[in-house]
Amino acid sequence: MAHRPCPFFDPGTQSSNNTLGILQLKRDLLIPTILSSEPSTDYAEGKVETTRFGTFPHSTLINQPWGTQVLASVVDTGSRGAKGKKRKRGKEEAGKEEEEDEGRPSDSQLVKAATASSGFVHLIPPTPETWTLCLPHRTQVVYTPDYSYILQRLRARPGDHIIEAGAGSGSFTHAAARAVFNGYLGQDVTRYGTEDSRRKRKTKRYGRVYSFEYHEQRAKQLVAEVESHGLRDVVTITNRDVYGDGFCLPSSNGPAAHSSDAEPDADIIFLDLPAPWLALKHLTRSPLPSPTATPAEGTTPTPFRSPLNPKSATRICTFSPCIEQVQKTITALREYGWLEISMVEIQAKRLDVRRERVGLSEEGVRGANSSAATVKEAVQRLRDVEGRAKLFHGMQIEKQKEVMRKVEKVKKGEQEKKGSSSGRDTDIATEKRDAQHKINAESKDTLMSTLPPSKHDRLQQAKANAALRPAYKEGRLIHRTEQEIKTHTSYLTFAVLPREWTKEDEEQAREKWGR
Amino acid sequence: MHSYIRPYTHIALRLPSGIVKVLEIIPNTNINIGKFGTFPANLLLGRPYYLTFELLDKEEGKSQTELRVVPASELHAETLASDDAATPVESKEEPTADGGVQFDIVGENGEVIMRNNRLTVDDPSRQTLSMEEIEELKKAGTGSGKEIIAKIMASHMALEEKTKFSLAKYSLRKAKKYLRRFTVLPLDVGTLAEYVLEKEPFKVMELREESLGLIGAWANIHCGDSSRVLTAHDGISQIGGGRWLVVDDTAGLVVASLAEKMGILYSPEEESEGEEEEEEEVLNLEKPQNGEPTETGSENPQQDTEMPDIPTDASSAPQTASNPNSTTKPTPSLSSSLKPFPRKPHRNHIPAMSSPTNTLTILHPNAQPNLALLKYFNFDACDPSPTHPLYHHLKSLSWLQLLSPTSSDDYREPPLLSDSVLAEMKSSKRSTYYKKRRRWERTKRVVDETRRGGFDGVVVAGVMSPESVLRWCVPLVKGGGRVVVYSNTVEPLVELCDLYSKDRRAAFVQREVERQEAMAGVKKEGEENGTVALPELDEEEDLDFPVNPTLLLAPTLQTSRARDWQVLPGRTHPLMTSKGGAEGYLFTATRVLPLEGKVEARGNFRGKKRKTGEKTAVPT
Repeated sequence: MAHRPCPFFDPGTQSSNNTLGILQLKRDLLIPTILSSEPSTDYAEGKVETTRFGTFPHSTLINQPWGTQVLASVVDTGSRGAKGKKRKRGKEEAGKEEEEDEGRPSDSQLVKAATASSGFVHLIPPTPETWTLCLPHRTQVVYTPDYSYILQRLRARPGDHIIEAGAGSGSFTHAAARAVFNGYLGQDVTRYGTEDSRRKRKTKRYGRVYSFEYHEQRAKQLVAEVESHGLRDVVTITNRDVYGDGFCLPSSNGPAAHSSDAEPDADIIFLDLPAPWLALKHLTRSPLPSPTATPAEGTTPTPFRSPLNPKSATRICTFSPCIEQVQKTITALREYGWLEISMVEIQAKRLDVRRERVGLSEEGVRGANSSAATVKEAVQRLRDVEGRAKLFHGMQIEKQKEVMRKVEKVKKGEQEKKGSSSGRDTDIATEKRDAQHKINAESKDTLMSTLPPSKHDRLQQAKANAALRPAYKEGRLIHRTEQEIKTHTSYLTFAVLPREWTKEDEEQAREKWGR
Repeated sequence: MHSYIRPYTHIALRLPSGIVKVLEIIPNTNINIGKFGTFPANLLLGRPYYLTFELLDKEEGKSQTELRVVPASELHAETLASDDAATPVESKEEPTADGGVQFDIVGENGEVIMRNNRLTVDDPSRQTLSMEEIEELKKAGTGSGKEIIAKIMASHMALEEKTKFSLAKYSLRKAKKYLRRFTVLPLDVGTLAEYVLEKEPFKVMELREESLGLIGAWANIHCGDSSRVLTAHDGISQIGGGRWLVVDDTAGLVVASLAEKMGILYSPEEESEGEEEEEEEVLNLEKPQNGEPTETGSENPQQDTEMPDIPTDASSAPQTASNPNSTTKPTPSLSSSLKPFPRKPHRNHIPAMSSPTNTLTILHPNAQPNLALLKYFNFDACDPSPTHPLYHHLKSLSWLQLLSPTSSDDYREPPLLSDSVLAEMKSSKRSTYYKKRRRWERTKRVVDETRRGGFDGVVVAGVMSPESVLRWCVPLVKGGGRVVVYSNTVEPLVELCDLYSKDRRAAFVQREVERQEAMAGVKKEGEENGTVALPELDEEEDLDFPVNPTLLLAPTLQTSRARDWQVLPGRTHPLMTSKGGAEGYLFTATRVLPLEGKVEARGNFRGKKRKTGEKTAVPT
């Protein structure tokens, strides 16, 4: 049975046709896409991914090693709307591009696009985490901090069977599939180590996720997703109302022959339902006695079948946003004999790390605080300002004096006109004064140069420096909680249902192990 | 998995006080749980986990304590009863009924439904039983503590004055003190983490379950049994195969957690779950070969010479998989005649650390890795049992062996002796010779394989500075692989984030471009010797760029904490106290393959025109 490895578990060395790849643009901006080399009706380049950071024809994404930084291409996106013309134009342009592009002819009918001058993305293989960040939202998503803790607490291990009810957007489905995955059906490569005689005689138990979704549309979408993500062997989607119909699957429902027919044979249960307590009556090991607390619905005619694995302790987690749901769930859990009941909520946050630059030297620099960094700096600045003020004040006075002198001079001149006897004297006086002025001005200049530059000069200087400064290592390293945090996702209720233990079992154990 | 309690496994007993006791269950011995008494271990063997047992009193004529399984209905009886009582009150939805009880709530027929605490008297004299009397009762030790509690409650003068809540608290307190019950929990990674965190948090870097979950998720840990080890584009280095690199200063807790998620932590007999195996289990009643020396070449030199130098590629490795019938179950006659313990025949022995896929490679700063906690999973790193999956799937090498293999003694090939020389040797010398050869083969295999890189991810939970670890580990991770660093405190990771910051990356690219232009044409790649180009060990540390910031995408720093709640009818609230200590932080990123040279980013930068900002403003 030639199996195509699931890109989530074993993506291989490079991206390939018809597999899921993720384009990472920013930390939280990821675009999932099924890579395809098929020609498309929209673009001459085939399937194209248009993003904020440029356009990426799939031909540039396929057969690239995972993790590669891919440059954007020049693709004519403008003419897409205009049908009819579009293809021709695309071809023409593409022809040009081909010439530009070293004239290399493409081996398929797809047009090879020219590399754009800017823009890039990283092509990364899908993981449940990246998928959670970019999946098409259908319902509330179970995010990584929650599902990782849930799977940890539920002790999900390779080979386990998980029931998931309320598949929703499928984020938990993918994470659960990864947790229990231990090989593809019918492809039991013998490896040493875990393989020993006993296990070989026994058929290996493959990890499986049995996912139930009430909403038909969502269930259909999920089925398609599971198929395209290569998870068919691990995940079974069933469209069903689990409140009424329970969790047992007809034994023929399995996609392939399964060792234990009694599906789902679950070890782990995850309920993301509005009323988990209504589903609990179907998760028992033995038939409920008829006068149960749950509303009677008429006993089913079929013989009782438990959806639980009789040989392991069943672990359950319910995921409910409201405390009232939790209370009802826990009461029901107690009634049905679940143990180790506990409830927690997860408080997760991400931290932003950056450098905070403070100081007078940051004046006019973006993203920095230009207040004084220290008291000393502040005092120095105050001194400077004061010194400048004094100087300017002095200059102001000097200027005023000058004006006065000029006025005087004019007056004197008038007087001279009246009686032009003492003209020579005044000339000499003016000369003397001018000389005095010059000296004054010179000293002023030297004074100015010793003073710190003006604000204008400072800004100019800072701007010039900004490009040269190693800003990446300046300032103080700080961290703070991210702008938006999820203060409440849901309450997680955990419980365990031990194996059934009867008097006969106890007798047998006593006989076997002695006392 | 953990289907029932097997002999020679570690189990955890939780006492009513919440104290967890971890012990190895050995048949035909007694288990002592402190003041509550002692009982035979055999009474637990074969029973399922998660059951609560009660110690019964010794009956006349019987030599030992009996255990009784306490059914769930009994465990929940009190809460369920009070729940029923609480429901009518809640359903009325009177404002006074929720929570703060201001006054007694009296039903229509005059019956008091809810009392308030007006009558509460804080006086120990209200308990009429004296301490001596209680001690007497304890000595008499009847009814597994229930009777004592009943007597104490009965002797309380004003029990009926207590509110329902304070009564519940009172009886819970007494139950914790006197009930002779315990619950048997499987000692899996979750239980172990809780246990160690309570006892010696510093030993495991205060690693909580939340962090364990996150580490596993972000490192994309999964069972890689069926993954392929492929050759990379350069034709030399390998890619994938479900192999992860680990740096672990948590005494093996991280390794255990990862191994559990990869399905290589529990020995196969533990993983099997049915009764079908029980016949064989009986044989295992005798102490299993765990603890036996594994490298026992002396009696069987034949087997040693047969042992091939396992090539590391995937295709040929499985062929050496053992003859299935010889591996686990020794024939009883053989074992009884040779040794007191059954011994695994070593024919077709597969060397340690030789699995090509689904492996953990641990890098350790000392000569030996510290994996002390793995003893709870019956694995001793210094003396591993060949039946344990970690024997093949856990590889270890020291930093010296990774970075400077030629200076490590174990990497140098010991001289190969001819058969005739060997035949003349004393058997002890011969076994030393084989031991040396085997150690060399193992070391060489692991070192060479590790240096060929292509790991699916690296998980670091260590006390060494993370940048110095990542400097050498990141190049060994495949493109698209995950890098996860745990630290109990935030500071080292903040610094690490800064070393991968956008601005620093831009500056680094700028510098590299300038360098490249300066020395155009001269290019050195360490790939010709079949290994990934690692930074030279003695290369002067670049203070501004201790790590290559272009190799990681989307570095993220996060933390997570679970807050426990009490959910009881009418008394639901978060727990009043819980453990403080280190928060535990996680740095995660994706390894990428940057393009060489300058790459212009695109996008709107709000008119920002800084030169440095443009190149790498895209991913943060």
